[in-house]
Amino acid sequence: MTRRDLLRSMAAAAAISAAEAMFPGILFGAAGSPGTGAAELTPSDGGVTWRKTPCRFCGVGCGLLVGVSNDRAVAVKGDPASPVNRGLCCVKGYHSVMALYGKDRLTRAMVRKDGKLVPVPMKEALDLIASKMAETIKAHGKDAVAMYGSGQWTIPDGYVASKLMKGAIGTNNLEANARLCMASAVTGFMTSFGLDEPMGCYDDIDHADVFVLWGNNMAEMHPVLFSRLLERRLKNPAVKIIDLATRWTRTSMAADRSILFKPQTDLAIANAICHEIIRTDAVHEVFVRDHVSFHEGKTHIGYGLEDKFTFKDEPKTIDLARYRELLADYSVEKVEALSGVPARELRYLASLYADPKKKVMSLWCMGFNQHTRGTWINNLVYNIHLLVGKIATPGNSPFSLTGQPSACGTVREVGTLTQRLPHGDVTEEKARKLAAEIWGVPVERIAAKPTYHTVEMFRAVDRGDIRFLWIQVTNPMVTMPKLRRYRDGLRKDDRFIVVSDVYPTPTTDVADVILPSAFWIEREGMWGNSERRTQHFERMLPPPGEAMSDTWQMIEVARRLGFEKLFPWSEATHIQEIWKEYRRFQAGPEHEMAPYEELRRRPGVMWPFVNGKETKWRYNGQYDPAAKAPFDFYGKSDHRAWIWFRPYEAPPEVPDAQYPFWLNTGRVLEHWHTGSLTRRIPVLHQAVPAAYVEVHPNDARRLNIVNGGRVRLTSRRGTLILPAQIDGRARPPEGQVFVPFFDESYLINELTLDAFCPISGQPDYKKCAVRLERA
Amino acid sequence: MDRSRYFLIGLAVLLMAALVAVVGQSLTAGREPARVMPVVAAPTPTLPTEAGMYARASRAAEYASMPTEPNRRRTLAVYYARRAYPGAPPAIPHPVDEREAFGKACLSCHGSGGWAPRFEAYAPVTPHPEMMSCRQCHVPLTPGGEGRARGPEAVRGSVSDWQTFAPPRLHGSAMPGSPPPIPHALQMRENCRACHAGPGAVSGLRTTHPERVTCRQCHALAAPPAEAFARAPERASR
Repeated sequence: MTRRDLLRSMAAAAAISAAEAMFPGILFGAAGSPGTGAAELTPSDGGVTWRKTPCRFCGVGCGLLVGVSNDRAVAVKGDPASPVNRGLCCVKGYHSVMALYGKDRLTRAMVRKDGKLVPVPMKEALDLIASKMAETIKAHGKDAVAMYGSGQWTIPDGYVASKLMKGAIGTNNLEANARLCMASAVTGFMTSFGLDEPMGCYDDIDHADVFVLWGNNMAEMHPVLFSRLLERRLKNPAVKIIDLATRWTRTSMAADRSILFKPQTDLAIANAICHEIIRTDAVHEVFVRDHVSFHEGKTHIGYGLEDKFTFKDEPKTIDLARYRELLADYSVEKVEALSGVPARELRYLASLYADPKKKVMSLWCMGFNQHTRGTWINNLVYNIHLLVGKIATPGNSPFSLTGQPSACGTVREVGTLTQRLPHGDVTEEKARKLAAEIWGVPVERIAAKPTYHTVEMFRAVDRGDIRFLWIQVTNPMVTMPKLRRYRDGLRKDDRFIVVSDVYPTPTTDVADVILPSAFWIEREGMWGNSERRTQHFERMLPPPGEAMSDTWQMIEVARRLGFEKLFPWSEATHIQEIWKEYRRFQAGPEHEMAPYEELRRRPGVMWPFVNGKETKWRYNGQYDPAAKAPFDFYGKSDHRAWIWFRPYEAPPEVPDAQYPFWLNTGRVLEHWHTGSLTRRIPVLHQAVPAAYVEVHPNDARRLNIVNGGRVRLTSRRGTLILPAQIDGRARPPEGQVFVPFFDESYLINELTLDAFCPISGQPDYKKCAVRLERA
Repeated sequence: MDRSRYFLIGLAVLLMAALVAVVGQSLTAGREPARVMPVVAAPTPTLPTEAGMYARASRAAEYASMPTEPNRRRTLAVYYARRAYPGAPPAIPHPVDEREAFGKACLSCHGSGGWAPRFEAYAPVTPHPEMMSCRQCHVPLTPGGEGRARGPEAVRGSVSDWQTFAPPRLHGSAMPGSPPPIPHALQMRENCRACHAGPGAVSGLRTTHPERVTCRQCHALAAPPAEAFARAPERASR
């Protein structure tokens, strides 16, 4: 080494260390020091391997490339090969890998001893869980143990949970948080088409001329798809985006037209559009004659506010004439009075759907699904598309968006809900037989009767009907409506609560055992997004400490319970083995899943995947190998799509003199659900550090509330003081307030109501009555 | 001897001591194993698009004749401190109106740059003006539009063990004096002039020859490296 080289490398080292001291967290030295031959050949992005995965967050399912270097994730790119996002992400996706490195990651198992959580070896915790489970089953029966999972579960997580609870133990006490977000979408699909999940796909965006967003703040909740809408409009200025909502949001700002309606009146608006389509003779007569049948069900169906509430619909087949009669109450003039939407706007909406030259895509998510008539409003939007025959063709697409990365892939497809099996319902003998055969268990073991959906499950814990509850990948002590009752229930003395998570949360606070989980790309798995796309990710990083994948945690406990034979897989290949076994359930042209090797190779594959081909449009003979005619709605025995007459019915709690404001809750772009991940990502936390209540400026003036000032919100169930936001990102109409739920310091669900859709069991987080005071 | 001389000698001693300390620390630091070791990059099959290649080319002559005004606040260090990793979407360091989330409002300054008196700075230019939902990826460090931007810990954080790789730098010319390859990915950054030319560009990133408009005529993409070209063996055997 010459003196010059020495001085040069010393200077470089000094500069690097000074830079590192100034900017902690940046490895300036990592790319190699300049001047050495090897470093000159190092790729300038630091020598990083890029590996594919779906994004950790929402149901859009963007393809990411995660930069991995020396067992650490160091960067993210949008995957240009993914047809979902084509290289673009949102701010959550770009910073998603930072959620791996929060300083308070759970790395050891904890067990509550004398009221305090103390660290124990993983083995001890798993032994304790298995013995408690066995003990509870022996003392109180198998319906006294339950599992509550997640739409962020991987497909293997959900599959093992279903096999353990339904196949091995023999109880239907298996639910997932997707009940709180997607259940009404499922019952909507089942009642209208007999099969779950959309007929179309994201490619519809590239064909549609009109986008109608129903109660869906897409700019914040599905930002990458919303960018695809904006791109479509930029290239085709005739394209229109209509925002139909109860609150003025960032989406309204970008839309061509923003239409505000009164909460719950979406039911009447959809009926008014159908009324107008029929009145103007815009019905697609051939399509309706050949592919549609008409039905009505029970009305005044209740709200599930009382324990052990049950409901069973009684469908009646009707004809178009009777349907037209039932719609008579929904003329645009009458609906204007109810909804606050001017009749001309309703006519305009109907004309967009009716225009034979326009392809229309309807998009919705929580505004429809978190609704005490969630199933109905899902049915109603299908009615519109069916009447004009705008369905299952490119660009004509009623599209139910999902919130979680695998609400579809895991909860809906694997069926981690009390009434479901990996294929079919527990009430169907055929479905039980198929499960018994694939699982190798006696068919009698699989219980034929559903037990509790989520709200009822937490009520059962409170009552003591359930004594053991294992919660994975979800944070119900922030998200349950009417939270106080359910928190008090879980805290009761003889309830045993197990929580698997990656960070401490209000739910781990009430746990008797905490299991540290391997997070996302620290294990192998698959998710399924909103457009029937299954996406595989490999294990890229070692999990910290004793953290273990949720799948393997369940397998360890199952083996301790004596079910080794049902879970024989090795740790190295279990994901592949599980996928192979699970695929057998979905065999056939209606739901064929891609083989494992295909999933590893590609950034997601859509099902039905038949003869090496994805099915982009179901029920359409041109694209769908299961369809026997140009249009074949084969999910129903009459091979028709069902139009349901569903009336407007008021919500259970409406503002009155004592509680004069509507309370709406939801998300913000920067935070994912309860914030347990995104609040540990500094840039996201800094952008939106705390929850707030959005108030209309006129209401604020009247109540003497200033921006940032403290406001007390009170409902019949609880009270909360939080800062006001006036004309911030969004503006609720007068008489309404909005609070995001990501902040565990402001538990807005202490105020919400646990009323749910009687058909789906999904609660309504968007409507309850509150009082507002300056605090 | 007057007192100023003592002061100067004292200062010199202090500086030398500081030099010894810094150099010593850097030498030991240099000997520590690197926390992130380079591994071989997997080739990405896609080539960057040509979109934006000539964007702002009409201003090239102006840029060439502009005096290089030293940046007051936005140095290269600040530029990287606003990104969680090189290539991450930068956070917004100034107050923003919550109701201005789309193209127009942001592009009025960041579309073509220029002097922004409110911030006493030249506005940096976006390399992807066609993407309209700006706040989808760029979030403010000044929540509620109040106060001044926070420091780098706001992006990288003290509650996190996050680490990333070093910023890209020019190196690896094939021969002495030949044009160096482009050291970073071009996805959404196909418009070179957005960051490398004009008064809004960080001085450390500016090109010396903005008047030459076809950048990729001379500068090839360096990362990720492709496998060396070789004919398929079965063709040779035929």
